[in-house]
Amino acid sequence: MISSRVAFWLVVPALVFLAIFLLYPTLVAVRLAFTDGASGVFPSLESFRVLAGDGLFHRALLGNLTLPLVAVTLELVAGLGLALLLSERLPARRLLRTAIILPFALPEIVFLTILRRVLEPHGYANGGFALAGLPGFDFLAPGSMSAFFSVAVVDAWRTTPVVFLILLGALAAIPGEIHEAARLDGARGWQRLRRITLPLLGPALVAALLLRGLDELRIFAAPLVLTGVEGVPVLSTYAYHQWADYDAIGPASAASLVLACLAVLASIPLIKRRIPA
Amino acid sequence: MKRRWLFAAALALGATNLLPLWLVVKQAFSPEKESFSWPPHFFPQEWTLVNLAAAAEVVPLGSGLLMSLGVAGATVLSSLLLALPAAFAAARRPPLDGPLDVAFVAARMLPTIAVAIPLAVIFVGAGLYNGPFGIGLWLAHTLLGLPFAFLVLRAAFRGVPRELEEAARLDGATSRQAFWRISLPLVRPSLATAAVLVFLVSWDEFAYAILLQVTNRSLPPLLYYLSAFGYPGLSSAVALLMLVPAVVIVLLLEPVLRSGVLAGSHR
Repeated sequence: MISSRVAFWLVVPALVFLAIFLLYPTLVAVRLAFTDGASGVFPSLESFRVLAGDGLFHRALLGNLTLPLVAVTLELVAGLGLALLLSERLPARRLLRTAIILPFALPEIVFLTILRRVLEPHGYANGGFALAGLPGFDFLAPGSMSAFFSVAVVDAWRTTPVVFLILLGALAAIPGEIHEAARLDGARGWQRLRRITLPLLGPALVAALLLRGLDELRIFAAPLVLTGVEGVPVLSTYAYHQWADYDAIGPASAASLVLACLAVLASIPLIKRRIPA
Repeated sequence: MKRRWLFAAALALGATNLLPLWLVVKQAFSPEKESFSWPPHFFPQEWTLVNLAAAAEVVPLGSGLLMSLGVAGATVLSSLLLALPAAFAAARRPPLDGPLDVAFVAARMLPTIAVAIPLAVIFVGAGLYNGPFGIGLWLAHTLLGLPFAFLVLRAAFRGVPRELEEAARLDGATSRQAFWRISLPLVRPSLATAAVLVFLVSWDEFAYAILLQVTNRSLPPLLYYLSAFGYPGLSSAVALLMLVPAVVIVLLLEPVLRSGVLAGSHR
């Protein structure tokens, strides 16, 4: 046990750093969001008025609610399927596991830039279609449902390995005797999955859901790289667009503040889980 | 029989996952004009090193590479220096653990854009915005690396039996000596894990990089613009340079990622 005085000095550097580079910028963001860029008046709701009247913001808000939902669902289903598959006694398991986590091992920007080359009108996907005698398909048409699902699938493809690894670890922790006992009691494969495996995986599934859900809320690179700022807008790309293309600090801060509020709301269950009652 | 089908399915999925990597390699080693042919070739018609050579000359690759390496290295140092004492305190004084945990979860959860925009405004005033050495980017990346380093190191210190430190104290060591001679050497493997993980976080990071280094670019924004301006071969050469260390690190870290420490499922 270390004394409380020593412990205090041990945590001070990290907390001071967080105060300067996390807390202070957050407060600055609040002030910027409520300042009228033209007149400098504070407090003002001018930036939020701009957002309310901007159709692109409406699309970004909607996209930021639906895209995470679709992507996380894909990740959980695919991650669970892969984890169950790879927990079977298959040959070359290590090699298969490596191949499955490979998309996550590539830097995000590398994965996204090459996937853009795959999905663009004259890309590899349509090239493959042409070789097979199929008509081409516009995967990334701005504002289309196909672009929305392309972004969701590409992002899910890259991050499913995270869910896969969490669930694979949790599956390995389930004692084999439990399955053995269930088998002896006559439970079939499907029954064992539904009645034993899934309930025991519960905590790991919830952990994966929260972790990925929070990450998906701030999704930025995938829609930006694949479709630009107006193809599949989300709040992060909208704020980036306002900041980088219009130098509109007020609306950019206001939009990112809306996103921060969404993230805080979504993280309440995570924080609750981490504080023992 | 059933197992054979499962194996075939796993093999097909694994092969699909190799496709993006294969296309990067293919484009990096085939001439630029080939990347614009229709229908596109899935195998190089002609192998060339032109793109790799061009990447070294045409692009400000050297400065981008130096910035990415420098920022990632500095981020490792600063994240570990800040996280190590905090992680030890959290592991040894349970009352501190809860509040620290929430602080680091907050650091991980806030959207990058919501921190990056005010940080950019602050850095403009402080002369750190778009700096040639990426000092602003380093500070932002430390914010990202800190929670990861904390989680890994706290788990490691929890794994060191307190009795070992107490035994050292009984043998006459001060608590400082017990830390330096007993606890720290025992968590050395986790220290390495945290270092490699934080390096990867910084090396791969895109959002802060594109917002804070608008013209003095590290590798990720450099690749983004190269690719957006339509140089598939050249950008694939840069991508190849970026992905090699990243892939090596992720494969090394696979057991840690599987352990659930980072998901917070082990409290």
